[in-house]
Amino acid sequence: MRKLLTAISIALISSRAGAQGALSLQGLGYPPGGLSARAEATGGGVAGFDALSLVSPATIARAGSAALFLQYSPEFRRVTAGSSSAKTTTARFPLIVGVLPMGQQWTGGLSSSTFLDRSSETSLVRRQVVGSDIDTVDVTERSRVLGAINDVRLALAWSGSPVFRVGVGAHVFAGSNRITFSQLFPDSAAFISTSQSGRISFAGFAGSLGLEYHPSRAIGFALAGRKGGTLKAQSGDTTVGSARIPDHYSASVIYEGIPGASISARVAHDAWSSLGSLSSSNTVAFDGWDMGGGIEVSGPRIMQRLVTLRAGARVRTLPFGFNGEKVTETSFAAGIGAPLTRDRASFDFSIQRANRTAGGDVKERGLILSFGLRVSP
Amino acid sequence: MKLSSLLLRSFATAALFLAVSSCSENLDSSGVCAVLCPPVGGDVQNLTLDAVVLDTTVQSLSGLGTEPVLLLASRGDTLETRVVIRFDSLPATFLPSGDTARPITSVDSAYIQLRIDTLNIKGGGPFTIEAYDVDTTANDTSTAAIIALFRPDRLISSQLLARAELRDTTKYFISNAAVLAKIQSGERLRIGLRVIGLASSSEIRIASTERGAPPVLIFRATPDTVTRPLTVVPLSETPADDPIVARALTDYTVIVTAPPGAPPGVLAVGGLPPRRVYFRFNIPSSIIDSATVVRATLLLNQVSNPSIEPTDTVLIVPELVLAGIAVTDPTKAAQITAELAGDPVKVRPGDSGLTNVEVARAFNVWRSQKPDTLPRAIVLRAVTEGSSPLEIRFSSSEDVSALRPRLRISYTSQVPLRIP
Repeated sequence: MRKLLTAISIALISSRAGAQGALSLQGLGYPPGGLSARAEATGGGVAGFDALSLVSPATIARAGSAALFLQYSPEFRRVTAGSSSAKTTTARFPLIVGVLPMGQQWTGGLSSSTFLDRSSETSLVRRQVVGSDIDTVDVTERSRVLGAINDVRLALAWSGSPVFRVGVGAHVFAGSNRITFSQLFPDSAAFISTSQSGRISFAGFAGSLGLEYHPSRAIGFALAGRKGGTLKAQSGDTTVGSARIPDHYSASVIYEGIPGASISARVAHDAWSSLGSLSSSNTVAFDGWDMGGGIEVSGPRIMQRLVTLRAGARVRTLPFGFNGEKVTETSFAAGIGAPLTRDRASFDFSIQRANRTAGGDVKERGLILSFGLRVSP
Repeated sequence: MKLSSLLLRSFATAALFLAVSSCSENLDSSGVCAVLCPPVGGDVQNLTLDAVVLDTTVQSLSGLGTEPVLLLASRGDTLETRVVIRFDSLPATFLPSGDTARPITSVDSAYIQLRIDTLNIKGGGPFTIEAYDVDTTANDTSTAAIIALFRPDRLISSQLLARAELRDTTKYFISNAAVLAKIQSGERLRIGLRVIGLASSSEIRIASTERGAPPVLIFRATPDTVTRPLTVVPLSETPADDPIVARALTDYTVIVTAPPGAPPGVLAVGGLPPRRVYFRFNIPSSIIDSATVVRATLLLNQVSNPSIEPTDTVLIVPELVLAGIAVTDPTKAAQITAELAGDPVKVRPGDSGLTNVEVARAFNVWRSQKPDTLPRAIVLRAVTEGSSPLEIRFSSSEDVSALRPRLRISYTSQVPLRIP
């Protein structure tokens, strides 16, 4: 009996959870970043001044009128490991923003963005001895995770003049990962395939502050920061882990001295390592820099609409490493923006080519398309 | 059309196409799992336990006549069986075509329609099948009294059938006079069938009432072929105080001679009279409650039984015992079972050595029932139970340690579905 209990204990300890099948999906998942399609197209450079990006709560003061913004961002990903590869398609709705001016100086905003997306599915075939020593079968382990942690922000911004804007935000981080794990055996007459499912819920709070200063019409600066609170993970009524929501700081600059054009750049730091205590296996979280810049120019008139053309580049460290190494994402982006229906709506589109690597044999390339629609009722 | 308009429309179309094509998610990145996916589940653990706390051979079926197939056999000194069919209610009148009912005063073309399993006939024929009047006032379940009635003065008819004449539906003609006499006297017609293989041993399987295709008596009450023949289904009116037994006795197999049964201490499945093996286990609750059983195999040591058809294949199936703890008699408990979906085990009576019986599906039920409610028990039975003399033998827990039944359990532990 003691041998039996020991064997079961060893089996329990040695089992692990987390087969995610991509560099960008390690740990708690991939951070889309809370950038609008416009900001993505400029490599994130304009995010510190963009009312529809969630980098700084001060930016909502730039909205001018009540607006509702929705973004759809599918990603076509290809992961290569040696001679093998996998192609996936992930459909995301990473951003929804509502902005409401309140008087001449105040603006309120409510938004939700995908903070960490963990949607993935993998199948792994393992040869196992089941029964006598010579009785081996191929067991297919199928793992499916759906869900994300979302950042819901309530923001309030003040703008006394076009020179200075300030805003504060209160964040609720909420979401869940629905996990299904199956072990499939080939012969149902002799073996019983197993399936488990579970749900991990996340809840946490954070606060943010943003400043925007334009000493002249040609140049502007922005600072933003988010201070994270505790993020708890629960399975049912049981708390299975807790960590701090990563602190985030960013600084941005924009130059609008060239008529019809703006050049912007942004540098940010995310203390992702604060999520390390939430990991239950060998996943390592790294603090990382996020740097990017881009240009936005007024383009040609198409169907009597002035189209804006954008381009940019970005490099950042993803939160969770692979095999103990940081995963770096380098992306190049381009996009357009066009007003619709007498400026009561606008459409933004961006295309990003992202390369991710952890310095080893595994490479990942993502093609991210973003479709953003802003409507002002 | 302006170039700018064309560009915009082309762009809009392309964007729409990309948006729509990305709507169907494909998250499966299994192609790179060899590198990027660590195994999630733990290794399968295999344990072999001396878990059998009770194993015993029990009589199968709930009584005489409950077999789905009637066995008519004549194999010399080894096996001799007869079949009894009861027609306790015969019609006294018939309805001529276009006329009113009349008393039956003649019987023509009387035969018993038999549904024969032509795939499992043994012996090349020809076969002589004799029919006897086996009506008696003796105890209903007394086979000795029935066997004694297979004597010349009780002979009703005899028919010689070639092997080719035994078809799925075979007409066995019986004496018209005997049927008419029973009708006119108001007596029961109880027919005993006996087969005699002239050139070799014989074994014929006939579907019974329990199979849903009982033997039926068919005859004409008038030579007029416009009037439809009368069909009489088997019926037993005795024992009058037990309708369940009476129904079982509408048709049944009587064993005159059977192969010798297994010696004491040896488990036996099948044979005649048919037997089952009842196993009760003591399985640690830590396995049933905490682990996920993916395979469970009952390891049995087969003992050779060369007495009859040692190289024929017998299919054995495990069944889950559903009898609760209140049913303490293994014989009774072994009748209250449910099938465990799985492939039957193919064995031959003359073989010996290790035999594996897969019983993992029983754990699905045991996990939801406490052992003080539902004993951890299974039954082994032959698929051809009651219709085949072949008997498979296994070592019991009274045998030496290496030959005793054992239970090998393969299990994985529940994977904690948690944060990565």
